[in-house]
Amino acid sequence: MSKTTPKARNTREQRWVWGLFSGPGIVTLIVLFVVPFYVVIAIAAGTLDIFESPVPAWNPLHWRAGNFTSIFGDLVGRGAFIGPEFVRTVVYVVIASLLSLVIAYPTAYFVTRWAGRRKVMFLLLLIAPFWVSYMMRMLAWIDLLQTNGYVNKVLGDLHLTSQPVNWLGGKASTVILGLVYGYIPYLILVLYAGLDRIDQRLLEAGRDLGLNRWRTFMRITLPLSRQTIMTGMLVTALPMMGDYFTNQLLSATPRTAMIGNLIDGQLSTPGLLPQGSALSLLLLVVLLPLMIYYVLQTYAASGRAA
Amino acid sequence: MSRRDLLRGLGAGAGAAGLGALLSACGNAAGASPTITSLPLPRKNHPVRWPIFKDNQPIPSGLKPEVGATLKLYNWTAYINQAVINNFQKKYKCSVEWTSFNTITDAISKIKSGEADYDVFVPTPDNLGQLIEAKLIQPLNHSYIPNIAQCWPDFLNPFYDQGWQYTVPYTVYTTGITWRKDHVDGNPAQWKNGFQFPWQKKYAGKVAILDDYRESLSLGLMYNGNYDLNTTSASQLRLSKASLDDLDTLVGGVQIDNNDYTNVPSGQVWIHHAWSGDMAAAASYMPKGVPVEVVGYWFPANGVGPVANDNMVVLKTSKAPVLAHLFLNYFLDLPNVIENISFNGYIQPLIKCTPELLVQEKILPPSLMSTVVLPSYFRNGLFELELPPTADVQWEQDWLEFSGGI
Repeated sequence: MSKTTPKARNTREQRWVWGLFSGPGIVTLIVLFVVPFYVVIAIAAGTLDIFESPVPAWNPLHWRAGNFTSIFGDLVGRGAFIGPEFVRTVVYVVIASLLSLVIAYPTAYFVTRWAGRRKVMFLLLLIAPFWVSYMMRMLAWIDLLQTNGYVNKVLGDLHLTSQPVNWLGGKASTVILGLVYGYIPYLILVLYAGLDRIDQRLLEAGRDLGLNRWRTFMRITLPLSRQTIMTGMLVTALPMMGDYFTNQLLSATPRTAMIGNLIDGQLSTPGLLPQGSALSLLLLVVLLPLMIYYVLQTYAASGRAA
Repeated sequence: MSRRDLLRGLGAGAGAAGLGALLSACGNAAGASPTITSLPLPRKNHPVRWPIFKDNQPIPSGLKPEVGATLKLYNWTAYINQAVINNFQKKYKCSVEWTSFNTITDAISKIKSGEADYDVFVPTPDNLGQLIEAKLIQPLNHSYIPNIAQCWPDFLNPFYDQGWQYTVPYTVYTTGITWRKDHVDGNPAQWKNGFQFPWQKKYAGKVAILDDYRESLSLGLMYNGNYDLNTTSASQLRLSKASLDDLDTLVGGVQIDNNDYTNVPSGQVWIHHAWSGDMAAAASYMPKGVPVEVVGYWFPANGVGPVANDNMVVLKTSKAPVLAHLFLNYFLDLPNVIENISFNGYIQPLIKCTPELLVQEKILPPSLMSTVVLPSYFRNGLFELELPPTADVQWEQDWLEFSGGI
């Protein structure tokens, strides 16, 4: 008969107690992710009743592939119509992400390196947009951009345009601007956190070895912030891919519709709800490699840091 | 599996619905449940008298209104005058709690889920079948609603609810074309087919259609001269969608929204597919210095265009059914109706609620008299009614393919 030593028992108890700390996270994950995810699958693999309400297939043995094959048909088959929305989404998100980076990186760099004692004030200003709801911010743009809005008034007063520009009449540029404006605070915060963590001594060493400011930036700061840039771009690009609200408010024309609008349209139409669920799952599959890449990179970075 | 196969398979799920056998048109025996597998589809030439179920009977006559009760109203956003509600509260010493919804599909889903216990709801005729069959609304006791006598006689025996067993009318409206006279040449009345008016290249970026799959695909059908707005023909629907695609190309991106009442007054849109009641309220949304006379609204003079009405019903979940009946009655009384229209814009079908009276009461500008729904419109008009589920999904699919979900 083996005897458990007090030390081993103590270690086991400690492990058990620490394990409890993961409880809330696990419960949250199950309730808010696993269960809803299963519901989405059950609806996508289910049917409709006579009132066009979805009848979820809870038993995997009863799952039907119809909605999935139909979505593939919509994407690449004879009656395909999703293609333009899909391509448009990728193009808009890539342009909006790059534009965001061009604006956010210098901003975050300035706050980190040059804001000095005013760093806190700048940080507060950067997160100020979060205090106003996303919807309110987008509605404000409608006031600014409408035909008789302030943007057209300023452009007219400066004689830059002879007649009001129809910014809200289905312009891709307006939608991209909306995406940039809506998501850029997230990118700035991620970049700020990353740049602020760069070891100052490395920069000083570079300067001591004769590098000027530009070369210090190019040889030390930029390479060390590569991981942060990737993280920030993913954090902003992923929600942009599923965005539908920005487009609906700032364009409302079919020619700027994105994949998020299609899913929203399907999910808010009872007869098309199973197809919407299937398309959501398809979008998840498309985005999964990006998410896995993000997780692997983060894991590798934390390994290097250790 | 093709989409057609998928749509055909839709019926397969019906058995799983667990709602039992569905009832036939013109059913009469209380609680009868013949083995019919589809809902009756009311049409003008096929009126429907819905059954009264044994376990869903009207409330008895002669009951006193519930004292100190809270009446829960479930209505469209900004679709009723709070001042009239306040008067009702005072008169019956109760409180009214008003919850709004934006789309009828959201509202029906919420009611079906049983998560709310509203008393009064405002559905369109095309949703009645499922509400009655699922016993979500209760039959009315007519003795509490004497003001029905003030309504157009059509509503004493409407084709969608013979004998007004479950419904009283709330508003009536037409769907037509609104335009800015100061920016657009001519008007739809000068065109052979006024519903083709939005198809004008020179107004690129200034054209909008309604964000409603039935209304906008119907516009496409009428563009092609097809006035069967309940068609189940896939080819006709494809033709309608193709016409909407053409419109989008022609005007460099057609806008899809239900903000006709703000976007036309503001000048954001010059030609808008619109609801009459929305445009009747245009005067409230005109920018400073722009007279309401610059806004026009057209509906065919012969009344052959889309017409519709909303109804008020009492839900089965009602905890204050007597008050609910009295609420329905209150909104059929001329003084209350006039006050309600002064905010809402949407006409209510009362015999004495004439265009002349609305102009005299300064509720409606003379230039927008065309937004008034005349009884003849209601009789000659085209109703967008409940479709067989497979056809309805086809409509939804074609709309999605056009709109991209916008």
